Formats: sequence, structure tokens, C-alpha cells
Amino acid sequence: MNWNLFVTELVSGITHGSVYALIALGYSMVYGILKLLNFAHGDIYMVGSFIGFGIITVSGGATNLGMPVWLLLFVMLFCAMLGGGLLGVMIERFAYRRLRNAPRIAPLITALGVSFFLENAAQLVLGAQYRSYNSFSWKNPIALHGFTLPAQARISYAGVIVIVGTVVLVVGLTLFVQRTQLGKAMRATSFDREAASMMGIDVDHVIVATFFIGSALAGAAGVFNGIAYQQVWPYMGFTAGLYAFIAAVVGGIGSLPGAVLGGLTIGLAQSFSIGYISSTFSDAVVFGILIAVMIVRPSGLLGRAAVSKV
Amino acid sequence: MVRRFGLIAIAATAVVLAIVSAAAARPAAQAAATASCSKGVSIGMQAPITGPAGSIGSDQLHWALFYFTQWNKTHKLKIHLVQEDTQLDPSKASTTAQALASNHAVMGVIGPAGSDEVQAVAPIFRKAGLAFASGSATRVSLTSGAWKGYFFRDVPNDGVQGPTDADYMFANLGVTSGSSVMVVDDQESYSTGLADIVGQALSGKGVKVDRESVSQKATDFSSLIAKVTSSTKVVFLPFQIASEAQLFAQQLQAQGKTAIAFGSDGTFDATNFTVNGSYISFFAPDVTTIPADASIVNVFHKQFPGATSPFGAPNYVLAQMYATAITKACKDGKISRAEVRKDVLKVSLKSTILGGPMRLTANGDVAGAKFHIFKIENGKYVTVA
Amino acid sequence: MSTDPTDPTAPRVGVDEWVASHEQRRVERPGLLGVVERTLAQVPSPAFYLGFAVAAALLPAVTSNGYIIDVGLNTLLYMLLALGLNITVGYAGLLDLGYVAFYGFAAYGYAMLASPQFGLHWDTLAVIPLVVIATAFLGFLVALPSRRLVGDYLAIVTLFFGELFATVYQNGESMTVFGFSRKYDVTGGPNGIPNIDQFHVFGARIGALNYTAYYYVALVFFMVLLFAMYLVDRSRTGRAWRSLREDPLAAELMGMPVNRLKLIAFACGAGIAGLAGTIFAAANTAVFASEFDFTSGLLIIVYAMLILGGAGSLGGVIVGALVVNVSLEVLRDPGHATWVFYTLICATLVARMRPWRWLGAIIAGTAAFGFVVHAIVSAAWPRGVDGQAAVGGVLGSGLRHWVVLPSNPTMIGNIAFICLVLAVLVLTLLHGSMQKLAMIPTLYLAAFVWENRLVVEPSITRLILVGVILIVLMNARPQGLLGTSRVEIV
Repeated sequence: MNWNLFVTELVSGITHGSVYALIALGYSMVYGILKLLNFAHGDIYMVGSFIGFGIITVSGGATNLGMPVWLLLFVMLFCAMLGGGLLGVMIERFAYRRLRNAPRIAPLITALGVSFFLENAAQLVLGAQYRSYNSFSWKNPIALHGFTLPAQARISYAGVIVIVGTVVLVVGLTLFVQRTQLGKAMRATSFDREAASMMGIDVDHVIVATFFIGSALAGAAGVFNGIAYQQVWPYMGFTAGLYAFIAAVVGGIGSLPGAVLGGLTIGLAQSFSIGYISSTFSDAVVFGILIAVMIVRPSGLLGRAAVSKV
Repeated sequence: MVRRFGLIAIAATAVVLAIVSAAAARPAAQAAATASCSKGVSIGMQAPITGPAGSIGSDQLHWALFYFTQWNKTHKLKIHLVQEDTQLDPSKASTTAQALASNHAVMGVIGPAGSDEVQAVAPIFRKAGLAFASGSATRVSLTSGAWKGYFFRDVPNDGVQGPTDADYMFANLGVTSGSSVMVVDDQESYSTGLADIVGQALSGKGVKVDRESVSQKATDFSSLIAKVTSSTKVVFLPFQIASEAQLFAQQLQAQGKTAIAFGSDGTFDATNFTVNGSYISFFAPDVTTIPADASIVNVFHKQFPGATSPFGAPNYVLAQMYATAITKACKDGKISRAEVRKDVLKVSLKSTILGGPMRLTANGDVAGAKFHIFKIENGKYVTVA
Repeated sequence: MSTDPTDPTAPRVGVDEWVASHEQRRVERPGLLGVVERTLAQVPSPAFYLGFAVAAALLPAVTSNGYIIDVGLNTLLYMLLALGLNITVGYAGLLDLGYVAFYGFAAYGYAMLASPQFGLHWDTLAVIPLVVIATAFLGFLVALPSRRLVGDYLAIVTLFFGELFATVYQNGESMTVFGFSRKYDVTGGPNGIPNIDQFHVFGARIGALNYTAYYYVALVFFMVLLFAMYLVDRSRTGRAWRSLREDPLAAELMGMPVNRLKLIAFACGAGIAGLAGTIFAAANTAVFASEFDFTSGLLIIVYAMLILGGAGSLGGVIVGALVVNVSLEVLRDPGHATWVFYTLICATLVARMRPWRWLGAIIAGTAAFGFVVHAIVSAAWPRGVDGQAAVGGVLGSGLRHWVVLPSNPTMIGNIAFICLVLAVLVLTLLHGSMQKLAMIPTLYLAAFVWENRLVVEPSITRLILVGVILIVLMNARPQGLLGTSRVEIV
């Protein structure tokens, strides 16, 4: 067995899966509370990625960075999460709030409208070209430097940053949801919105917080994607959002560990099918596997089976 | 219930009115009709301005628009650009082609971008008697004669590029019979066509060709690069997006692979593909590196900030070509589509921003097409063949 | 207390009562408009469908413009697609995100049986039924394992199916059976299948590029299916579907064959998409897998049409497809788009602004504001007003003296665009006279952004406007233009 190939595919799958997982978390959180498929979520990820790119540009451009890499990473993440979060809250406030009790399909179309708007507004303002974080040209090129695992598999620091960053954010989110009062309110709201509001939980407040956190995670995912995979362009959110949506549902939509598991599943399925089956049909293989998973476990890997109440 | 019928009625009347007024406003085109030049002439433009291929299309649009803006500042004969967005979708291309064909002011068309789109729109433009010239459709069969006199392109086709690249790899990059080359396409027609040609040329020489493909949507190549072995000498990347070739080449290096990245004309972009030691083939010297073009590129960036791609500048030359043809056709104060079609073939530009003369062959291909090979050294493109 | 069900503050307790008294709260519109409305309500809906058929049939008589006919044909194809989707989503309530794959499957099916791809040139009378049945059967097959899935899980499996279809067809130029080395070009890969035969029946064939003929073919099929659906809607099956949509559990308890109903809904929807697919393939003479991809936006557009028209409403299918496709096409032309933009703003002002004197004040205020700004800018920064208005004519020359047109507007335009978006959002938060005062600079800013930035990039602007229209319309009428509002009992 070719261990080099195996380890490389494993790491590559986990890295890519981490990005999916972060986007999928936001998807899942919003879905859990509003039962809304927020198709604009991928575009928040795009905006986050552009914010990171903007900060690189402001600090002098990739080849001439004006600040140390660790500081840059911190500033990028902070700004992208803040910007993404605020954008998410704005979208909720202005596009979705009035539709909270409308037929479920109405906010879906609104979400598509928001997605159209964001993608094309980004193209209008920022141009359609592909931009690059170009972290290979940074003075301390985290995307090039790395270390060699046994079996000659190379791991870049960028990959490590993405994976560690994701783990930190996921652990933080879990602690937040499990331990804090707002987190408990979120879980209660997601369990039963009406009952939660009758128990005195400020549902509006909880929804805003959910949108903020979910969108901030998408913003962070945008920065991570830029560090590891360089490219930023206005339509990047569409495909990423699609895969994250898939990840969220495969994991069990509404379930946070499920979203992470779903993201990793997709990332690994993609990289292993490219490595071992066929690069051309890798997407087909992934979708085939996922259809099988869904048919065997209709409520997703970690989702609770829906109990219909009469 | 009450409102629904009212709405049906209102919507129906509105639509009928809209259709009737549109019909009245845009009289049907007479393909052979002549028009006066005094009010200006229109040139249509089809490009994937929005959507996933927006980076290519908007650049194409900007270069053509740029030429005509400059032209209109200094010439009495005004040329308007009518832009139509195809999103690289052949069926949208044919609908918008109908729009251009029905617009009797349009005398020629720049675009569409993709070879599929060219196939889709060709019957429409032929019926309308319109010349259409693409700055990026390189499939060999397009100029094999079916649309002779209607379809033109100012970029050499894949039949020129593929063998040049394969020969160069074989002669200079250590590719021998028995060693292997990875050919990666990005699953659209430009890329698969070129990859097929290069793959066949190499297999013909006994080279082991590892044919792979990644979706253009992919942002991660590391899983594919893991399959590059030590006997892989070259990875051929006929991509449409330069920064994807950049990422591929960078990840090759990051994983410690020794294979050389070799890009096609679609990746020729001195700002976005800069990995040292990589090779690229292109049909002209780089626009952004030709000293004589510096002023033009500067003015262009003033109007359209941001990077440009290799798919842009050929459309500038096409605009130049149409402007020349229209000037000729307008000598008598009148112009027709047939005149433009004939005059386009007579256009001979002494030097273009693509760094050489431009003339078309009777089939509509660019005359004297030749591919140059470049090597990237310290971020600069150096001509090696 | 509000009785508007879409108002989030409306009482949620006692919704049953609210439903029961639904009819009593209907206020009849006064005046002439009310009379017209009540008269129209007396007319049965087939009369409207017939009216539409007549109007649509007259279109090629009114114009010979190939573009308009082609847009008409596309709209009819969209209507067919929306009609099929209406069964699965609108009636049965099954969220099918792989719907476009059926359309693509049928288009490829027609292409394979009637093109040089395999050298087959079957008669259209044989191909259409065959392809439609095959597509319906495919729908059945997709639905078969999906019966157990509910809601969004069904959506995702169908989405996978759609993507699976697109990936396989996009890369099907060298397919091989496992264990064999011989490769077959099945779908043409990214090059698609070109040179597809026109419709031909017993030797008689439609000429190439004869969109008018296909227009009538599509229209006839659409009208026949529309009336069929009208009958189905009122039949046992139609009622059963709707009960399934409203509450699958209750439907099952009432003895409905839920599984069978789902399968039929899927198969019927797929069959109609299949019919549209064959017409599409023949009229376009070439098919490409990328057209049926999720990223191509086709699915999104069909959904938008269905929901905007009102899911579950047949008239909504017509209106939704017309509104979405015609506005998408009208906005292509920057001149038309400018008129649409200003008309929409004025219409909104007229419709929403009460009392009238405020309307006058705002219009006058905006005009004055514009001239003042223009004067200041031309005095302080002459380069700020020497740009060109994009539209000619009366509108253009009027605008030149009112809107500030910098010679190099890209950067300023971009910043202004972002400011405009923020300003409009803030405007929705303000109330009373503050809102009206804030409206004056916002309107001027809108004109500035339009003239300097949006009109220069018509292709992008078109999609931005589509996004805005979707957001605004869904917020204004969540049940769709012709849909009836339903109360969901939680």
C-alpha cells in the first residue's frame, strides 16, 4: 500500500473538510432555529474571504507584508468574523424577519434573492477576477513551509492552521452552546420555538445571536480557505455553500457535531475518490456515496429522527 | 380568490402590451438591408459577463469596451457596443444571439467566448448574415469550413498549440518515451479539447499519459497532486483560470514534487501565474510586458481597475478589426452586414497589442499563427522558444 | 392588535379560530376597482387560460422578430417546467432539487435518438412518447428510495441525483464498462451533442431555426397539459396531493396511499419536464450538460417562477414564468432597464406615499436637492460633472444637468453603491417624517449610482435587480402573486 498517497489524501481531506464543516455549522444552526435553508450563507463566506484579502492588501500586499504573520492571521480572522457576523445579522433583520411565519418556501426564495444580490454586488464593486491570498509569497510562507510526516507525506503550516483553527472554533462553539445562558436559550429555541418564547426566552435576540455566530464562522471559513487554497472570487460562495449544505444535511441538519462530521465526510470522500477512484468522476462518486448514506440513514449521520407530532 | 383573477388580468394585459410595444420598437431585421453610418454603428458583444466564468467575460467586455471608448473620443464615426451576457451557457448564447440578429443596427459581433457557444449561435448569425468573431474559442473544427465567411477568430486554434507544447516537452523538458506526463483538464470544452490533443501527441511518442480532470469549481488540488509520481516529468495544465494553474504549481512544490508545471494560453497571466520554473505557451508576447503597450494598459487600468486575464486583449484586437472594417464599409456613408463580413477579411493590422500583425485567413483563422513557449524566471516571463 | 398573518407579532395562540373566521374578515374593495374585481371573480379560471392561449397564439402574428419569438419559446418552456414542478412541489409538497436533471435527461434522450451521435434519426412521434415515458420512469426510480425521506432530506437526495446526473453527462465522453478497456463516447462530454435533428413526423420536418414552429408546439403542449392539470387539480388525486402537502401524517391516517401519491407526483412532474426537454433539444439543436447543472441557475429560476407565481396555483405558473423571464430579458437592454428603474421608484412612491402632499414635497425636494448638489459640485470640482449620461434622448439630457456625473466614476460609484444599500436599509427602519426627509438624499443617491455605475454594467445590474425583486416581492407577498395564503398550524 502506498502510505504516502494515503496520508496525503487523509490530510488533504481533513483540511478541505474543515472549511466545509465551518460553513456547515452556520447552515445547521440557522436551520435548527428557523427551519430555513439559508442559501445566502455561502456568500457570507465569500465576503469573509474578501475581507481577509482586503486586510492583506491594506497591510502591503502578499509579497510585502507590513505585519508579522501571526498578527495578520489574527486580524484577518477577527475582521472576517466580525464582518461576516454583522452581514448575517443584517440579512436576517432586513430580508428574513418579516417572513418568519410565512410558508417555508418563501424565505427560501428570499435567500436565493439575497445570494444573487451579494454575488453580483461583489462583482460590481470588487470585479470578477480571481484574487489570491498568495500565502506562498508571504515572508514567512506558511503555505510552503511545513513538516514531513512518516511516509514522506508533507503537511504545510497552512493546513495545520486551518485544522487547528477549526478545532478551536468548534470547541469554543460547543462550550458556548452547552455552558452559557444564551447557548442554552439557543438550544431551547431550536427544540421548540413557541415553547421557548412562552418560557420567557427572547426569541428575536436568540435568532440574531444565531445568525451572528453562524455567519462569523462562515467568515472564518473564508479566511481559512484563502490561506490554504489562495483563491477569492465573487462566485466562490455558490459551490462552497452547496457543499456545506450537503455536509449539514448528511451530518443531520440541525445537529452541530453532525455538521462537523458531515463536512469531514465530504472532504474525505472527495479526496479519496480523487486519489483512488477517478478524478473525473470524483463528484459523482461522492454523490453516489451520499445518496446511499441518506437512504440508509434518512435523518443524517447524527440527526435525531424526526418525530411528527399530531 | 378575488385578487388572483385581477392579477391574472393585469399581468396578461401588461405582458401583451410589453410584447406589442417591443415588437413595434424593434422592427424585424432585414439581413441584407443597408443602414446609414451617420447615427453611428453598433457592434454586438457576447461574453460570460456574470456567473462562474465572469472573470473571463467581464475582462473580454472591458477590453472591447475600452477600445471603442477610445475610438469614439477621436473619431467622427461612432461605434456603440451592445453587450449581451451569456453566462457561458449555449442556450443563453443563442437567445442573446437572436437579440443581436434582430437588432438591425448591429453590424458585427464580438464573441461568444466558448466553442460550444460558437456552435450554438453559428446558424443564427449565418441566417442573419452577421459576422461574429471570437477572441477565445479555439476548438479546431470551428473554422473547418461550415461557417466560412461568417465566423472569425484572432486566436490560433488548439491544433497549433497542442503539438507545439508536446514537441517542446519532448525536446526540452526531459519527457522521454517511457516517462510519464500528467494532463489535467478542468472539465469544460476548451480544456478537454486541448488536453486531448496534447495527450494524443504525447502518447504517439510513447509517453505514458496520466489523464486527470478536476472541476473548475475545485479549489484544492492536493489530492490530485498526491498522485504525481517521481517518474512524472511534466504536469500539463490547460486551464482557463491562471490562478488555478498557480495554485496547482504551488501545491506541487509544497508537496515536494519535482514535476514541471506547464500551462496553456488560458493561464498566461504575468500577475497571477508566477511560480518559478513553470512553462507556458502563448500565441503572442505578453500584453502587459510589451513596452509599447504599457501606455495602453495604463489607460485601460484607469478605466477598469484590477487585474486582466489573457482572454481580454484579443477582444481589443477584434474591436480594432471591426473598427477598421466599419470605417472601410462606411466610406460611402452606408453600411450593411454583408459589407462588414467582406471587409473583415480584408483587414490587415500592421501591429496589434498582441505584439505582431493580424490578418485573417479565408477560413476565418488568424494567419501565420505560431505559439511561443515561455519560462517563468523570478516572476518574469522569458521567451524560450 | 394585528390580524395580518404574516406579521410576526400577530397572535399565534388560537390560530384555529383565526382560520375559521377567515372569510368573515375579508373586506370588499370599494369603488370601480372593486366592481371589476368582483366581476372578474365570476369568470371561471379556464376562461383566463383560454385568454392567455389566444394572446400567446397571436404573438408570432404581431411580430416576426426572432428574438421575441425565441424569448416566447423559452418562456413557454419555463412554464412547462414550472407546471411539472408545481405537481411535485406545489401540490404534493415534495421539495425536489434535482428537477432540472429530468429536463436534461430528456433533452439528452432526444439528442441521442435523433442526431448523428449514434447515427439514430428516429421519428419524432416515436421519440417524444418514449423519452417522456423514460423520464417519468426515471422520476419514479428516484422517488422509490426517497419515499421514506421527508422534507429537506428528500431535497438533498434529489439534489445529489441532479448533481450526479450533471457530473456523469459532463464527463461522459469516454465511458467504459467495468472490466473492459474499450471506451464509448456516450454524451459528448463537455462538448455536448450538436446537430440534433429538428422535429420530423413521417418525413415532414420543421425547418432549422424555425422558432415560431416550436413556439406553437410548446404552446399546444402547454395548453393541453394546463387543462389536464386543471382537471386533475379538482379530481380525487389532486385533492389527495394537497392533503399530502398540508399534512402527510393526517393524510396517511385518513387512509390515503401516501407512498403511491408521492411516486405519482414525482413521475408526473418528471414526465412534463421530459416533454419540455425534448422541445428544448430540438429547438436548440444542441445540448450541453453544463446547462442542467445546479450552478447554471436554471433550477433556481424555475423555483423562483413557481414560488413567485404562487405554488399550487396554475395561473401562478403562467404569471410567475412571464414575470421572471420577461423581466430578465427586458433588463438586458440598459435603456429599458433605466426606464424600469425610474418607473419602479416612482410607482413605489405613488403607491406608498400618503398623504399626497408628501409625495409632491419629496419629488420637489429631490429635484431641488439634485440641482443644488450639481451646482456645488460643478463649482468646486468641475471634473465631477463632465461625464456622459449613458442614455440618450430626453431622459439623458435632463439627467445631465441634475445628476453629478464624474468623468471617472468607477471608484466613487462603488462607494456610492454601498452607501445606497445601507441608506435603503436604514430607510426601512425609520418612521414618519424622518423617513420622508431621509428619502430625498436616498433617491438622489439612487439616481447617482444608477447613472454612474449600474447602467455601465447592465449585465451585472440585471442580476442585482433580480435579486432585489425576489427579496422585495417575497417580503411583500410571501404566498406568491397568485397564491392563497395558508395558515400553518404549529
